[in-house]
Amino acid sequence: MTPALAIEGLNKRFGGLPATRNVSLHVMPGERRLIIGPNGAGKTTLFNLITGDLTADTGSVKLFGHELVGMPTEKRVHLGLARTYQILTLFPKETLLHNVKLALLGLDPVRWNPWAVLSARTAMTEAAHAALVQVGLGRSAERIVAETSYGERRRLEFAMALAQKPKVLLLDEPLAGLSQEERKTLSTLLKTIPRDVTIVMIEHDMDTALEFAERITLLHYGEVIVEGSRAEVVADPRTREVYLGD
Amino acid sequence: MSRGNIIAVVIAAVLLIALPRIITHEFYINMASQCLIFAILALSLNLMLGFGGMVSLGHAAYIGVAGYTCILLTIAGWHPLLAAIAALALSTVIAGVFGMLSLRAPGLGFLMITLALGQIVWGIAYRANTLTGGDNGIRLPARPEPFGINITGAPAFYYFTLIVFAVALFGMWRFARSPFGASLMGTRDQPRRMRMLGHNVWMVQWLTFVIAGFWGSVGGLMFVYYNVFLSPHALTLQQSAEILLMSILGGASSLTGPIVGAVIITLIKNVASTYVERWNTLLGAIFIAVIIFMPLGLVPGCRALWLRWRNRNRPKSPTPAAEPAE
Repeated sequence: MTPALAIEGLNKRFGGLPATRNVSLHVMPGERRLIIGPNGAGKTTLFNLITGDLTADTGSVKLFGHELVGMPTEKRVHLGLARTYQILTLFPKETLLHNVKLALLGLDPVRWNPWAVLSARTAMTEAAHAALVQVGLGRSAERIVAETSYGERRRLEFAMALAQKPKVLLLDEPLAGLSQEERKTLSTLLKTIPRDVTIVMIEHDMDTALEFAERITLLHYGEVIVEGSRAEVVADPRTREVYLGD
Repeated sequence: MSRGNIIAVVIAAVLLIALPRIITHEFYINMASQCLIFAILALSLNLMLGFGGMVSLGHAAYIGVAGYTCILLTIAGWHPLLAAIAALALSTVIAGVFGMLSLRAPGLGFLMITLALGQIVWGIAYRANTLTGGDNGIRLPARPEPFGINITGAPAFYYFTLIVFAVALFGMWRFARSPFGASLMGTRDQPRRMRMLGHNVWMVQWLTFVIAGFWGSVGGLMFVYYNVFLSPHALTLQQSAEILLMSILGGASSLTGPIVGAVIITLIKNVASTYVERWNTLLGAIFIAVIIFMPLGLVPGCRALWLRWRNRNRPKSPTPAAEPAE
C-alpha cells in the first residue's frame, strides 16, 4: 500500500545548525501518528518542510506517491495536505465564517473570479457553517475572531483545516494553551475525524497524545531516534532518557 | 448592501448628476471632472494599497503609458476608440511587466522598485523628444466624440467623466466583494496562511497589480482627455505620491476613502492655491492632523466616530456560549 506520507532522508540546516538530520518516516493511510521530542528537536521544522514553508536541503517528501519537494505550498494543499499552526494564524478582523470561507476558497476555482459576489455563494456559506458546527462553533459564525476566546480560535483552526477535507492533516500542538475542559473537547473532536484523514500530530500533552496515537516517532536534535507502536516507544529507555524522564 | 448605503448611493448619484446645474461656473464643473479623474486613479491604486497591502509610488506611470500611446496613435490617424483601446491594452501589459518586477521584493523593496519604474517612464517621456515632445509635452488633436456626442464643453465632459467613474467604481466595488477580493485581502493579512489554504499568493498579487494598472490607465486616459495635452510633469514622483496620499488621507481599504481623498486634495490644489501661496504646507498640515486623529483615514475614522456615538448608550451584548463539538 502507498504510504499517505513518505519521508526519506530529509535534511535541513540553518547555517551550521542541523534542524533535521536524515529524517525518514512512513505514515500509512488512516494512521494517527504522534511526533514527540524535546524543544528544539525539529518537530515544527519537519512540518514546515512537509508543507513547503521551508525548503529541504536534501531528501524526499511524498504525499500518496506525489513528490512534494520543489512544489509550492499551495499545490501541496491542492493534493490534500492541511495543517494547523502552533501559533494561531487566523484572520482576526474577520468573522469565523469568513475565515472558514477563505479555507474553502483556497480549493475552489471561483477564487480567481473578481466579478462574482462572495456572499451570494450560498453553497460555500453552508459548507463553512457546517465546518463550524462540526467543531461546536455554529452559533458563533458571525462573531469577529478577535472577540473570541483562545480555545474557540483553536477550534476555528480545526474547522478551517477540516473544511478542506484533507487527506493528510498535520496538527502542530493543537492542545497548547488550552484549559483542561477545552482539551477534553478538542480530544473528543479529534476522535470524530474520519479514518480517511491521516493525522500527524505534534503534542506535548502526553495523556491526550498517547490516547490518540497509534504510532509514535521521537525526534531528538533533528534525528529520529525511536519509532514504533505506542507501547514500544513508551517502553524504550531512550524515550525516557530524552523526553519522558524518570 | 444595507438600506442606509443604498440611500447614500442614490443621494450621491443624484447630487453628482445635478452638479452642473447647481454649480454652473465652468471652472468648478471642470474641477469636479478633475476630482472624478483623480478618484479613479486613487481607487485604482487603492486596489493594491488598501486591499492588497502593496504600497506603490509609480502609479503615475500609467498616465504616461496610456496617455502618450493614445495621443501618438490619434496623431497617426487611428480612430479615437481604437487608440483608446490600444492605449489601455499596452498600458495593462506594461502593468503586467511592472508587476513581475516589483513583486520580486516585498515591503520597502516593492515600494522602491515601483518608484524606480515610475521614474523610468518619466525619464523616457522627458528624454524621447521626437516621440513625446520632451519637456514641452504633446497635444491630443481633439477630445474624442463617444457615440458622436461632442464632449468639448465642460458639462458634457463632466458627464462623460461621471459615466466612466461610475463604471470604474462599480467594477471595483464588485472586485472588493468578490472571491478574488477576499483572497487578496487574505494575502494582505496572512500570506503564509493563505498559501497553506491553497491560494497562490504571488498570482493574486500580480493579477491585482495588473487590474490596478488597467484602472490606473483608464484614469490616465481621462486625464489626457481632460487636459488635451500630456507632458512629463504629469508623471512625476510627486504625482504618484499625491495619488498615494489621496488613498491614505481618505482611508485605504474602503471604496469611499480614496474618493474623499481625491476630492480634498484636488480642491486644495486648485482652490486653496489661489488664496494660499504655500498650499503644499496646508496639505501637509491636513494630512498630519488626519493621521494623528484618524490613523486609518478620514472615512474609516468618521465611521468609527459615528458608530461610537450611535452605540454610546447601548449595553455590550453577551457573547454566545460555545456549544459542544459534534
